[in-house]
Amino acid sequence: MARRPMGRVSIRNLRAHKVRLILTVLSVILGTAFVTGSYVFTDTLKSSFTGIFNDAYKGIATHVEPAHSYDAGIPFADLATIRRVPGVDRVAPGVERPAALVDSKGTKVASGGAPSVADTWTVPADRIGDPTRFESGGPPTRSGQAVLNAGAAHKGHIRVGDRVRIVLSNRPVLTLTVSGIYRTKTESGGYIGVLLSPGQARQVLSDGRHYTSVDASAKPGVSEQELTARIAKVAPSGLTVETGTKLRDDTNAQIQTALSFVNYLLLAFGFIALIVGTFIIYNTFSMIVAQRLRELALLRAVGASRKQVRRSVLLEALFTGVIGSVLGIVGGVGLAIGLRELLNAFNVGLPSGSLLLRPRTLIVALVLGVGVTLLSAYIPARRASSIAPVEAMREEFALPSSSSSTRRTILGLALLVLGVVLTVLGATSSSTSHGSALIGAGLLGVGGAALMLSPVLARIVIPPIGWVAGRPFGRPGTLAPANAVRNPRRTAATAFALTLGLLIVSGISVIGASAKGSVEHLFDNNVRADLVLTAGQQGTVPQPAIDAAAKQSGVGSMTQFHLAFGLLDGAEEAGSGIDGPLPAVLALPAVSGSIAPVGNNLVASESKARERGWKIGSMHTLTHPGVGSVRLKLVGIYQDSQLAGAWLVSGATYRALTPANERAAEVGLIRIAPGADLSQVQSRVEKATNPYYVVSVDTRTQFKGQIAAQVNTLLGLLYALLALAIVIAILGIINTLALSVVERRREIGMMRAVGMMRRQVRRTIYLESFLIAVFGALLGLALGIVYGVLFTKLLKDQGLDVLVIPWTQALAFLVVAGIVGVLAALWPGVRAARTPPLAAIVDA
Amino acid sequence: MTTTTTQIAARAVDLVKTYGSGGTTVQALNGVNVELVRGEFTAIMGPSGSGKSTLMHCLAGLDSVSSGSVSIGDAELSGLSDNKMTALRRDRIGFVFQSFNLVPTLTALENITLPMDLAGRKPDREWLDTVVDTLGIRDRLGHRPSELSGGQQQRVACARALASQPDIVFGDEPTGNLDSRSSAEVLGILRSSVDRLGQTVVVVTHDPRAAAYADRVLFLADGDIVNEMRDPTEARVLDLMKNMED
Ligand SMILES: Nc1ncnc2c1ncn2[C@@H]1O[C@H](COP(=O)(O)OP(=O)(O)O)[C@@H](O)[C@H]1O
Ligand SMILES: [Mg+2]
Repeated sequence: MARRPMGRVSIRNLRAHKVRLILTVLSVILGTAFVTGSYVFTDTLKSSFTGIFNDAYKGIATHVEPAHSYDAGIPFADLATIRRVPGVDRVAPGVERPAALVDSKGTKVASGGAPSVADTWTVPADRIGDPTRFESGGPPTRSGQAVLNAGAAHKGHIRVGDRVRIVLSNRPVLTLTVSGIYRTKTESGGYIGVLLSPGQARQVLSDGRHYTSVDASAKPGVSEQELTARIAKVAPSGLTVETGTKLRDDTNAQIQTALSFVNYLLLAFGFIALIVGTFIIYNTFSMIVAQRLRELALLRAVGASRKQVRRSVLLEALFTGVIGSVLGIVGGVGLAIGLRELLNAFNVGLPSGSLLLRPRTLIVALVLGVGVTLLSAYIPARRASSIAPVEAMREEFALPSSSSSTRRTILGLALLVLGVVLTVLGATSSSTSHGSALIGAGLLGVGGAALMLSPVLARIVIPPIGWVAGRPFGRPGTLAPANAVRNPRRTAATAFALTLGLLIVSGISVIGASAKGSVEHLFDNNVRADLVLTAGQQGTVPQPAIDAAAKQSGVGSMTQFHLAFGLLDGAEEAGSGIDGPLPAVLALPAVSGSIAPVGNNLVASESKARERGWKIGSMHTLTHPGVGSVRLKLVGIYQDSQLAGAWLVSGATYRALTPANERAAEVGLIRIAPGADLSQVQSRVEKATNPYYVVSVDTRTQFKGQIAAQVNTLLGLLYALLALAIVIAILGIINTLALSVVERRREIGMMRAVGMMRRQVRRTIYLESFLIAVFGALLGLALGIVYGVLFTKLLKDQGLDVLVIPWTQALAFLVVAGIVGVLAALWPGVRAARTPPLAAIVDA
Repeated sequence: MTTTTTQIAARAVDLVKTYGSGGTTVQALNGVNVELVRGEFTAIMGPSGSGKSTLMHCLAGLDSVSSGSVSIGDAELSGLSDNKMTALRRDRIGFVFQSFNLVPTLTALENITLPMDLAGRKPDREWLDTVVDTLGIRDRLGHRPSELSGGQQQRVACARALASQPDIVFGDEPTGNLDSRSSAEVLGILRSSVDRLGQTVVVVTHDPRAAAYADRVLFLADGDIVNEMRDPTEARVLDLMKNMED
């Protein structure tokens, strides 16, 4: 009975402080939206992927595949052996190969991040799981026919009867007639699956001797384990034989790992939003309590207990928290949808599937949203309840401020020392992983210290900046910096969102710019090729394309890099096989011996030779099980090179160890003939490689630009994060300024009375906000750049040997922060300017 | 005619001020006619709620009038834009409020020059020195308001009001929060600014002792001027107030 009237008071107050509460609710929404969005996005993807693979692997009792990448596969003959194993029901072999699909108009169908493969059609008699469902057409009945998945067909506007082409590594381009378009249960964004008739698949996709995988189903009454054990007994060496359950579990675990990064990133932003939200909520409730002190005191005077007063404030917080969290959950679902659409727009190849909102997501978001709100409102609520009833009669009010600033500073300094020590230890550490862990911990310490010390820093940093920035504005210009440091703790808390956002973004920008710079440096100093032939991110250049390019007039020399791998003296190793002259295209300074990867020679990098204890003249064996084995002699050791990798062998060695169908070049490097015109040669080479669709021919400058563009795409994602930090910062700044304007109402009224123009009031507020934002940005930039540099130095051995600090970008961030500050101040500024001069005298 | 207008620092004609709307209106001023003479110290007295503050706010351009007109010097206030009105307050009017007179982030000197700084004008050094010395606050100029006593704060406020040589200085109970000694100091300063500098001063007060510093006392009741006294003394003011109550 006693609580009811206080509840009514709470609700009336919520209405009375609408705008401020909207800000509070918004900050709760942002935080919970990111938490919800993160879970919904990853849960949905996980379940879609799991659905895809569970569907694809349905009914498989035993799965057989090569144990290592260098293992050849399942010999054709062993298929019959497996069929004969007792308990085996159906057996489906696979000869999957990467393949690019070209539609009937001659355009490559992009798969984005998803696989683009060719495989064999499984005849219904062998098919495990549900029978294939066709959208249109039917199975490939003869060589030259193929079926396509619906997703790829729609993307390439391909219909039954169309003639499409597929590009494989070491084959002329294959033209196929589409006999049918099949459906998969869940279409992942970009997946391309072309299925050829079994005969043709074996002929053009396999090495002529091996399947890449074999699946088997069990007869009723035979368990997975039993069947798998029996098949394992008859399977040749070099193969992994596992149960269908293990196959599905492993795939799901892989998906989980792949998605956890996205999950953590989004969650991190949710937590940043909530941390900043804490300040906003705290500010808002402090402000509401401050404005209501007289009323609260009056309530106390007429008999409300301390507890009731506290409850009435907390009840408001509860309303705010619940409303914010519920809206945040809705927003989070929207965020998840938006994110998926955005990524699919970039062709990342995410599966579509209905959104998954698990009870766990709802609970976490609600608990976080409401909990944070209640926690942040608790101190103001306690303060409100400590109002003595007699204060209702007093003229003026001042909230008792809890002053723990010295404790805070000391704690901050201690953290700073700890952080710096860890950072120095990390920076001087010889191990990259150790060092980065230490620097990371140091960054946490220093970041925390920055937060604790930023009230002190604000008082040091803001006045000089304010002095410069305020100069042109006369007296309002000098009022602003003073106002900005009047409540340095509030300023610091407000600036925190920008500090954090810019710390992350500028830090990664330094690393990104250094990566770009290092690649360019590497290229400028080591690559002498005039033209570079590549096949996109994941593909290899088909061998016939390379051969055609090499024949063009004006091409002086063609050097090919092939991926060579296998067992080198028994240990798994990967290096390159080289065709063509090396020094013509690549600077590779020798440490000892001669750098000639020809015949049965082996040349190795300095670090690889040291690691394995190789000496000039020593003999080694490189084996590709099931294909062949070559005796090699180490003839030279070269300085470590990002481009050349660990070791080099001849093209002949490569071919001796690589099945014909897999042969391809990672990259082709052309030196043009003396006197030849670069652009003419380029267009001739382009024309010659065009029939292979996947090859791009770039000049050195173009290629460097492509790498830079890739780094830029990654950095682009960061700007999304920056945008988020900015949104949070704007909310925080608006909130803080609104609070300040309310608190300084009499003062502003007085200045209006003695002659401050409205525009001067506005300018003072804009400038104050500008200073808060620039302060936050500067702190974040300083830390971000320092730590970006430290991480870059640490990654020196990983190829980041050129340090680039993107100063113009940093300056741009600072300018953006300043603009954000002014934008955030627009509404509070207008409100402040509306203060009537009479506010100086009466509570008008 | 021209000589009399130049003698008038501020004037209200049929000044009416109504608060609220509909059935709950309060008529705070009931058609007040008043002329404040240049170079005079005027005190406005009256019972609580009689409209003293409202009259002062209207005369000083801090509040709008419901009807009638107000002019400062030769400037008619009604119809001025907010900017023009603000500039007028800044350049031609000085204020001393009861409290909250000073900007806490500015020093005493900065507070004194605030109106001129806002206008982007350079203060007249000589005049500033005169004012500062007259008020005896030279050694306090670098201090913040929080480092000053209540009396010192009001003296700084007086200095601000006088420093820009306004047409007229308004004070709404400027000594309301001060002890009798500080209050005598502040009133003495205002008095001497009238005597020595020829300043025009209007002060709202309910203290007969304060009113005794004035050349002329206006008595308000129920939103109109009901009485007037020249060269008041504390005893005569008290007498008149008693009579009015009867
Ligand atoms: N902002 C306002 N809203 C409504 N009524 C007001 C307001 N200000 C003053 N009044 C009323 O106007 C009358 C005169 O007030 P005021 O000028 O403050 O008197 P004084 O200063 O003589 O005490 C009073 O009845 C008061 O209640
Ligand atoms: Mg009054």
